[in-house]
Amino acid sequence: MDRTISAPDVRRPARWPRRKLVRRAGLYVALLAGGLAMMIPFLWMLTTSLKTRAEVFSSSPFSFPSGLHWDNYSKMWFALPGVTFGTFFENSLVIASLATIGQLVSCSMAAYAFAVLDFPFKRSLFALILATLIIPFQVVLVPNFILYRSIPWPFSDSGNWIGTNLPLWVWAFFGGAFGTFLLRQFFLTIPSELADAARVDGANPWQIFLRVYIPLSRPALATVAIFQFMWSWNDLLDPLIYLRDLPSYTTTVGLAFFQGQFVGKWPEMMAGALVSLIPMVILFVVAQKYFVRGITLSGLKG
Amino acid sequence: MTSLARLLGRPGRVSSAGPTRSRGGPRASEPLWALLFLAPTIIGLAVLSAGPILAAFGISLTTWDLLTPPQFVGFDNYVQLLGDDRFLKALRNTTFYTVVSVPIGLTLALGLAAALNQQIRGIAWIRTAYFLPLVTSMTAIALVWLWIYSPTGLLNHALAIFGIPPQRWVADQTLAMPSIIAMSIWQGLPANVIIFLAGLQAIPVEYYEAASVDGAGRWSRFRKITLPLLTPSIFFTGVLALIGAFQVFDQVYVMANPGKPSEATITLVYYIYEAGFRNFKMGRASAASGILFLIVAVATILYFRSQNRWVHYQ
Repeated sequence: MDRTISAPDVRRPARWPRRKLVRRAGLYVALLAGGLAMMIPFLWMLTTSLKTRAEVFSSSPFSFPSGLHWDNYSKMWFALPGVTFGTFFENSLVIASLATIGQLVSCSMAAYAFAVLDFPFKRSLFALILATLIIPFQVVLVPNFILYRSIPWPFSDSGNWIGTNLPLWVWAFFGGAFGTFLLRQFFLTIPSELADAARVDGANPWQIFLRVYIPLSRPALATVAIFQFMWSWNDLLDPLIYLRDLPSYTTTVGLAFFQGQFVGKWPEMMAGALVSLIPMVILFVVAQKYFVRGITLSGLKG
Repeated sequence: MTSLARLLGRPGRVSSAGPTRSRGGPRASEPLWALLFLAPTIIGLAVLSAGPILAAFGISLTTWDLLTPPQFVGFDNYVQLLGDDRFLKALRNTTFYTVVSVPIGLTLALGLAAALNQQIRGIAWIRTAYFLPLVTSMTAIALVWLWIYSPTGLLNHALAIFGIPPQRWVADQTLAMPSIIAMSIWQGLPANVIIFLAGLQAIPVEYYEAASVDGAGRWSRFRKITLPLLTPSIFFTGVLALIGAFQVFDQVYVMANPGKPSEATITLVYYIYEAGFRNFKMGRASAASGILFLIVAVATILYFRSQNRWVHYQ
């Protein structure tokens, strides 16, 4: 790349060799231009959400909004009868939080067994758990639906778990490959001398787990928590199958429903899409290193 | 910490990676404690994974609308699927999506990772811009791209500058799938870039220095050092991209307004969703998911088999 850019012949006191300086400037320009290109959909979402509907169709898409039409956001927020977008947010928050707690509890327990305890069939069981990573979960979509449908539940219209948010988070209390794997790897790095010392003091495995391993594993636990929260927050297929009425919808199902109802109302739709992204974007900016670590170690994403 | 890439990458490695720290001999009570710690996981494996997989096969041999009792029909559902035009289109679209999106996505990610692997001031901020699509829901992203692809949208306006006539993109039979693929590649880039960046940063600088001394240029250093040493990362990203590509659903659901994709964009998972949860044909949906499972399994096995030919482990 450096060879194609010809430097203007400016004589400056060179603290750096000019060739290197030009190369570096070219690198910055290229990286920033690429970054901007990656951001275009977000920028367009933002500018559209601040335009009027007439403006969206009449003006150039590259233009800035004529004014900041924040009313698109309130229109979007109150667009659906009987519920606000805030309801969807609440539903997503509840489901994602419960699923996250479930994964933290069940995966850290399993990870402790695999990292610290000795028991028969340990390796085959661990291999089996890893194998579930490469099974497309859609295979169990129908049987799990039938399972949840057969659990009696007096508090729902259906009389079973269908139409409640239970199928969206209860599973999380029963283990998971990603969390178990990641936490096991982390537990293995904790010196066993610490556990030995606690054992000499009379601590049983449960106490060692709670008082030694959990407090030392905050970064790994944070990584697992952040990923599960993101997956639950962004999930579309499961909420689509299990949630039946508007007030129980998550943000993703709500957005998709919005899409079907408000064809062509781009400013409101972009406002909705943007608002739905905000929690994850904040989480990402604050906790980027946990995202990077989780992906580097597991390769798993959305 | 050993990454999953290391464990998954080499068949047979999983067992040897288990901890074998001996700490003064085994304790008799440990298996019981282990059972306690593993109880949730074992129940989950049995009730939510292994059991349902077997059940799915059983259900696929029946017709069942959930209202009347299931009826055993043998392999009828499978036979009917192979004669169902919509299913065959779903199969073809999903295959097309996978075959196109995986190699292009990985190549772009590799180039981008190489470009971002710089020790310059402000690189963390620049990377954040590239990584942002990572955390965004496909639902919201698909909405934005639906607008980008709309007849009056950004893409047509941009192409008009170069005198290219407006296209219908996702509404066009031929362009619909490529449009969805382009968007999905954009959204999937960050995760792959992150894995490749980690791989790049693990390559010892000495290798490059030695090669420079020997007079190797930029390109030959990339081809002779970077690429071979990165093959484990490429292999691993490939497995996950492959499995993920066969499961494509969200973007098709959102972009095919109003939730009923034409035969141009229907995918396998959408077909399963439609058969099971729109038309309540549980047997048909299970048979389709069985075929999905089979395809992913065969593709994964073939992919793992290929690694001896091109993956270099240090």
